[in-house]
Amino acid sequence: MKSRLIGLCIFTMVTLGGSALAEPLGLPPVPIPKDNPQTQDKIKLGEKLFHDTRFSSTGKVSCATCHDKDKAFTDSPLPVSEGINKLKGTRNAPTVLNSAYLHTQFWDGREPDLEGQSAQPFINPIEMGLTSHDPILKIVRTDPEYVTAFDKVFGKSGEQITMKEVTQAIASFERTVLAGNSSFDHYQYGPDKNAMSEAAIRGLKVFTGQGRCVSCHTISQTHALFTNNRFHNLGIGFERIQQNVTELAIAFAKAKDEGTDVDVAVLTNKNISELGRFAVSGEWRDMGAFKTPTLRNIVLTSPYMHDGSLQTLQDVVEFYNNGGRVNGFQSGGIRPLNLSEQQQTDLISFMMSLTSISK
Amino acid sequence: MSQMNRRDFLKGAGVLMAGTVLPFSTIELAFANSRQNFTFAYISDSHIQHIKGNQFVRNWDRGLIRAVAETNLMAPKPDFVMYGGDLAQLAKKSEIDHGLELLSALRHKVHYVMGEHDYYLDLGEYWESRLGPQYYSFDHKGVHFVVLNSILTDDDWTYNRWSSGEERMNVMAGLDNPNGSPFMVGAKQRTWLKDDLAKVAKDTPVIVFSHSPLQKIYKGWNFWTEDAEQVQALLKPFKKVTVFYGHVHQVQYNQIGNISFHAVMATAWPWPYPQTYAQAPSYLPKLTVKMNRADPFFERDATGWQFIDINSGNAAMHYSLADNASRTVAFNTETGRPEDIKYPDESLPPQNHY
Amino acid sequence: MCIKKPWQFSVLWLTLSALVSATAYADEFTKADLDRWQAEYLTVVKQGREVFTDPNLGKNGVVCAQCHPNGANTHPETYPKFQQQLGKVVPLWEMINWCIRNPLEGQELSADDPKMIALQAYITHERRGVNLAPGKH
Repeated sequence: MKSRLIGLCIFTMVTLGGSALAEPLGLPPVPIPKDNPQTQDKIKLGEKLFHDTRFSSTGKVSCATCHDKDKAFTDSPLPVSEGINKLKGTRNAPTVLNSAYLHTQFWDGREPDLEGQSAQPFINPIEMGLTSHDPILKIVRTDPEYVTAFDKVFGKSGEQITMKEVTQAIASFERTVLAGNSSFDHYQYGPDKNAMSEAAIRGLKVFTGQGRCVSCHTISQTHALFTNNRFHNLGIGFERIQQNVTELAIAFAKAKDEGTDVDVAVLTNKNISELGRFAVSGEWRDMGAFKTPTLRNIVLTSPYMHDGSLQTLQDVVEFYNNGGRVNGFQSGGIRPLNLSEQQQTDLISFMMSLTSISK
Repeated sequence: MSQMNRRDFLKGAGVLMAGTVLPFSTIELAFANSRQNFTFAYISDSHIQHIKGNQFVRNWDRGLIRAVAETNLMAPKPDFVMYGGDLAQLAKKSEIDHGLELLSALRHKVHYVMGEHDYYLDLGEYWESRLGPQYYSFDHKGVHFVVLNSILTDDDWTYNRWSSGEERMNVMAGLDNPNGSPFMVGAKQRTWLKDDLAKVAKDTPVIVFSHSPLQKIYKGWNFWTEDAEQVQALLKPFKKVTVFYGHVHQVQYNQIGNISFHAVMATAWPWPYPQTYAQAPSYLPKLTVKMNRADPFFERDATGWQFIDINSGNAAMHYSLADNASRTVAFNTETGRPEDIKYPDESLPPQNHY
Repeated sequence: MCIKKPWQFSVLWLTLSALVSATAYADEFTKADLDRWQAEYLTVVKQGREVFTDPNLGKNGVVCAQCHPNGANTHPETYPKFQQQLGKVVPLWEMINWCIRNPLEGQELSADDPKMIALQAYITHERRGVNLAPGKH
């Protein structure tokens, strides 16, 4: 029932169009790149591309397969995503909700923007499984509906249509996929002191106090994005490589030097996946570090963490309360919290109040 | 939202910069005397602090653990590791033992420098029993290394004022404690140093490890060595001298005559620059490019360790910082002094929030 | 008190005179007053320094002075300001509490706790003479 409501809410936002729509309560203006302005038609085209299963080697997988609008743009309850032929990857599908605000895309930030990110899954062997973008270009250059749309949106046809236009349209659509307007937003920014339950109000206090959540899952004076856009090692999954991290790191650095594709490596190899941001930056400080995701609509996107290894919000709160999983590279922000049972329950009530409500 | 274009992004993200696992197309350091090219790691100022029983302050423990974990990632391996002093907080046996236990995970040989937080409880007795002499020298690949105990102070303060070692240690432990006493190397060690250096050729690179700065920076916080000029005078005849010091918990570097100075970072916590204390003047080396003050939520912000490349006696210090961009301060042969090779970085916001 | 008899008037006059005999008006104070008030303030500053270096303020023995020698880098002149660690704009005392709870692993103090007042007095005293810059990071 809840997910249907959300689906309706998001669908409504989408059809109302992106350019003139004021952001939902609690969100700042969406950053729009100068070279990819929003138009109604571009957004519609992007949505069509997003749902097109022809852009996969089996004809059965589209972006929406793992980023389903009825599941808060994830594939909950899958811990890790499944691409063509149900091939399993290594990581949990991040939501598209509010991805427009992120400074980098993917758990390890290996792409700088939505345009860059959208091109990768098509050619990943366990996602859409194409060996190149050519099949996509063939379709968009010849399918009559696409021909009309690309001409209308970009004034381009035939060979002029490249992955640049395709990814720009997809990104345009994604920039309308927003989640705000939760009971927390009404409480905090309404301000309506009756908008959240007592438990959630206590939970907000834990979130910004003893829980230490707010430093990474940020709340600001006038809006809340719940992510600091930084990469942190919590210890999730790191035990997999902890014993031989030196050898693994050196081997991967060497492989990268010799041309290994990071996008393929991290999604097809469980050990390399645990290197996290290190696989992208090569910096020791990024060892085993993953990007802080948003907490909006978090109730709808279980299971949690980059490998989907934490099933419920209860598991998540317990994980943090214990100080995560200790390892040599753990973020300095993670430590045991000594929360009482009541505080933990209240924290979960607070997180439940972050679900967007339809008006 | 990043306005970077893809090319700039990949440039920043993909390139292995200083402070990372060295790539296998290993940096070839082509210098005149390649015998003197090598790398060593430097970990310092861990301040392992005992609470009670077997509880230690978690924050400082984590800092040392991280430095050890990262040092173990170095490829190629460093020739050795220096530990720069202040392993303990109050020189307790429990603290020294716990710190050494954490350091034991290092895969490399370690040499030790003494800090005041290791010394003033029992005047270094336990430290020496576990780690050897408080000052000494050794040679390595054509470089002469000297380790000084530069945190001594005058005899009267050391022996005559305290009812217990604990009391003395507690006073010296307070950086801004007005009842403290300025550090010095002292006459005995200066004599030893003179004799030690007499056997060294003047064109042999000399590297000195010290806990206090061997300069006079700010007396109020004991960023100070009382007999700095005398020690510097003993080092003056040498063509190339580099001093590495701990104690200050911040990036500092300087050039005085023939001597380059480099401060190492603490693994435990950062300190403010002396000039941020509004009520007293100080003399932070002008050359230093500073860092923003830390966010105390991220316990490793502005902390870390470093590794040093030596090329024909010239030092390039690579700071490995867990929560900040890496920094490299390298000797510039043209200008004749250490310089930050990247900062100020025009593409980033200025680092002036301290 | 309703004045009906002359003696009542004298009592009233004497009472009022007694009240105002120390200083004539509310906005007048002597150098002795100023010195006394400053001395009282400095007593609290001194108490603040003791709390600032008290290993029992938190639960792990860490003291404020370890990271903030002479109160450096506390920047009291910049409050109130947006504090990332709290997700909102706060006055100085709330950030002091953040430090007591987090690096010192201790219990927060109420705003009117004498220790909190003393801490603020010490921290601000060590920063005297610096221009106000509220909101500055």
